[in-house]
Amino acid sequence: MAQQYSTGDLRGGYKVEIEGEPYTVVANEFVKPGKGQPFNRIKLKHLKTGRVVEKTYKSGEKVDAADVEEAKMRMLYKEGDAIVFMDDQSFEQVTIPLSVIKEKEQWLQDEVLYDIVLYKGTPIDVNPPTFMEMKIVETTPGLRGDTSGRVMKAAVTENGAKIQVPLFIEEGETIKVDTRNGEYVSRV
Amino acid sequence: MNLKLLRDRSHMLRQARSFFFERDVLEVDCPALSSSACVDQHIDVMKVDLGSGQTGYLHTSPEYGMKRLLAAGLGDIYQISHVFRAGEIGPLHNPEFTMAEWYRCGLTFPAMIEETLDFIRLFLGNLPSQQLTYRAAFKSYLNIDYTAAIVPELLQIAQERQLSLPDNASSWDKDTVLQLVMSFLIEPHLGSDSLLVLLNFPATQSALSRTTELPCGERIASRFEVYYRGIELANGYHELTDPEEQKKRFEASNAARQKAGKELLQIDERLIEALQQGLPDCCGVAVGFDRLMLLRHQQKDLTTVLPFIWASA
Repeated sequence: MAQQYSTGDLRGGYKVEIEGEPYTVVANEFVKPGKGQPFNRIKLKHLKTGRVVEKTYKSGEKVDAADVEEAKMRMLYKEGDAIVFMDDQSFEQVTIPLSVIKEKEQWLQDEVLYDIVLYKGTPIDVNPPTFMEMKIVETTPGLRGDTSGRVMKAAVTENGAKIQVPLFIEEGETIKVDTRNGEYVSRV
Repeated sequence: MNLKLLRDRSHMLRQARSFFFERDVLEVDCPALSSSACVDQHIDVMKVDLGSGQTGYLHTSPEYGMKRLLAAGLGDIYQISHVFRAGEIGPLHNPEFTMAEWYRCGLTFPAMIEETLDFIRLFLGNLPSQQLTYRAAFKSYLNIDYTAAIVPELLQIAQERQLSLPDNASSWDKDTVLQLVMSFLIEPHLGSDSLLVLLNFPATQSALSRTTELPCGERIASRFEVYYRGIELANGYHELTDPEEQKKRFEASNAARQKAGKELLQIDERLIEALQQGLPDCCGVAVGFDRLMLLRHQQKDLTTVLPFIWASA
């Protein structure tokens, strides 16, 4: 039998399986009438679609833990509509379709280590490192005088990510980006 | 940590004590640690290892001890103490919290409600009050007669109002579903601009209060709650004094605990004995002191009104 959690014990980040679908717990609100049955209103994010739902349980009810694992894997190469990754330890290779990777494709770079989320052994998500270094391949010429970094302009990275960078950044420069929000962090 | 609020906490405690002193209500301090526990189906008690294989329990309210003092003839009494409830953590819950609880032998149930409102006004200002019955609350907020409603109807109302429930909700009993609907769909609206007194709870939610039958046949509990801005502040009873009935309720509650997979607990025989000696006709109420403070200072959660909430205690 699958491992189970009591609804009262669920915390942000726990992975659960509800009605056959995998979710990660976003928040858990304890609600109790004056005297009587306490409830937990749980906010859940679907691990594949990212859709957020809420479910209200009696406190102490059990929900199944989702069979979710994370593995660190290095990107090897692109192959058609898929990306091939490899586990550094076992040398095991997995091919993950771009349909699973979705908008994170813009953060894919050869040789970088990614967190691969597996549900029942099948990859369902690919998470890039929080900070990544990448080359700017396209932007309008820089204004040398401006070093304030307060005024931004559009730029495209080597992997096609469209981000905002300060005016002084030139084509060919390498910068550091926060992949959580796609924001420029610094020059490298 | 907010030093200004903590200074006010001291001031509030002193005001609370003056309130009772002026009314000739005696302060008592029943132990927080006792050998038997509250058997309420929905309150989880904290167990304490006393060494040498002995176990004690932290009180979830000073009620049992205070009732023994009432039976012994001490008269009107109050206690302001820390109480403990396992698993209750949230913006409005801390596993250890402060409760002001008092019992009045000479007051009628309506007078007890008035005194409770006066106590609350001491901290929240001179707010008007309003009374609403449990039945009228269901009628006015959800347009349903709760006495006649069946579980599927109540669940449908919940679903229609975007309360998503697990598949097994259809097997929940009626009281559970009533409490679900009350907690999520009615309580948030109660007391938006006045102190709202909710009355005539169903007899099945009587806890330690007396039950009576209305002329229409509805069985109700002599129990009230006070809400302000959707937050429950007080829970009061015309106290049950019949030891046989009390024992029956404890046993039923314990059986419900067992059914829910919780530990069976020893029934407090000392309380039953006290009731057998004779508990005077009295009303009692418990007020959540930390919530009172939260509302007084318009805080969103208990973090700033307590010196240290559990996460940082």
